[in-house]
Amino acid sequence: MEKLRLKVQLAFAAFFNIGLFQLHTICFPVLNCHSCPTSIFACPLGIIGQFAGLGLVPLSVIGLMALAGLTVGRFLCGWACPFGFVQELLYKVPYIKFNIPAWSRFVKYGVFAGLVVAVPVYLTPESSLYFCRLCPVGTIESAVPWALINGATNIGHLALRLSILFAIMILAMGHRRFFCKALCPLGACLSIFNRFAALFPERTEKCIDCGSCNRICPMETKPKPDSYGVFAHNPEECISCLECQKKCPTHAVKLWG
Amino acid sequence: MVRKVFWIVLATLSLATSIYGGFFREFLVYDNLEKFDKLKNVGITIKIPGYESSDNKFEAQSQWFTEPEVVNAMTFEGIGRYKDGKLTSNYPDLRMLKGRLPCPT
Repeated sequence: MEKLRLKVQLAFAAFFNIGLFQLHTICFPVLNCHSCPTSIFACPLGIIGQFAGLGLVPLSVIGLMALAGLTVGRFLCGWACPFGFVQELLYKVPYIKFNIPAWSRFVKYGVFAGLVVAVPVYLTPESSLYFCRLCPVGTIESAVPWALINGATNIGHLALRLSILFAIMILAMGHRRFFCKALCPLGACLSIFNRFAALFPERTEKCIDCGSCNRICPMETKPKPDSYGVFAHNPEECISCLECQKKCPTHAVKLWG
Repeated sequence: MVRKVFWIVLATLSLATSIYGGFFREFLVYDNLEKFDKLKNVGITIKIPGYESSDNKFEAQSQWFTEPEVVNAMTFEGIGRYKDGKLTSNYPDLRMLKGRLPCPT
């Protein structure tokens, strides 16, 4: 399963940025900057931020995100998001491993409300605090390529973006999927619907409460202690990586919740 | 059972929102032709409904856009807004760097 997921992640990362065609009328609900020279789809966060700057609500984008959240939820984070894939590779680098406090997972909701929506509404999308101007994915896929192509005109801001990117990369080396857990505003949007997602790991009556799924979970979700069903502790964080299914000694985890 | 009913209600609302936003919703926006002019001068043409590339003199003009068209336009430095003939605000510029050209693909 791990090898399959690796292949799927690689395929999605290539597909999003292969540049064979451009379909920017459609947002694909993963963090992938549409300012990338070869991007295919639009980034939902970029569109939400820009609509917010005009005081408008992008209904098609929000509807699409909700549909994606209700059908596959954060499965997209685990299987399709290129930056999640990069973070998983970074975590394999030998480095000091550490935990982050439980409350840090709420920061991403603040990032969405503050930097994606409030800054464009109350300041301007031109503001340096606007999420797209700080986004690590935008730095990798857009800021750096365009700086190489056209030359950097704002060295200070580029340096700030690169600093944020490197800080997140170092933190991702120490804590698995640090950005997804603590900072990703798209993950925050999808996690709202994760509890109701159709594609979601669920424990069956075969479970013997050994806790092996708890220990292996990269997103620190936990099953209900006293009843079977969807994961009760932090279910919104589950990215359906299925490492719990792989580790389960009684094959008690099924994917379709 | 409650979860399934809630899921169906949410999915129906989401689908309705997507269909309305994607196929029926329209915006009255104004082309920021000054920017198009600059791009045209360096040999780049952006095709957005309402923009007449044959116009010799660029003037503010309005056009109804569907939401997906606006989403598409927002991925470029594209459309601006005028009020009473005066540019009041630009659509947010997603260009990360000054001098960025539209996606060559």
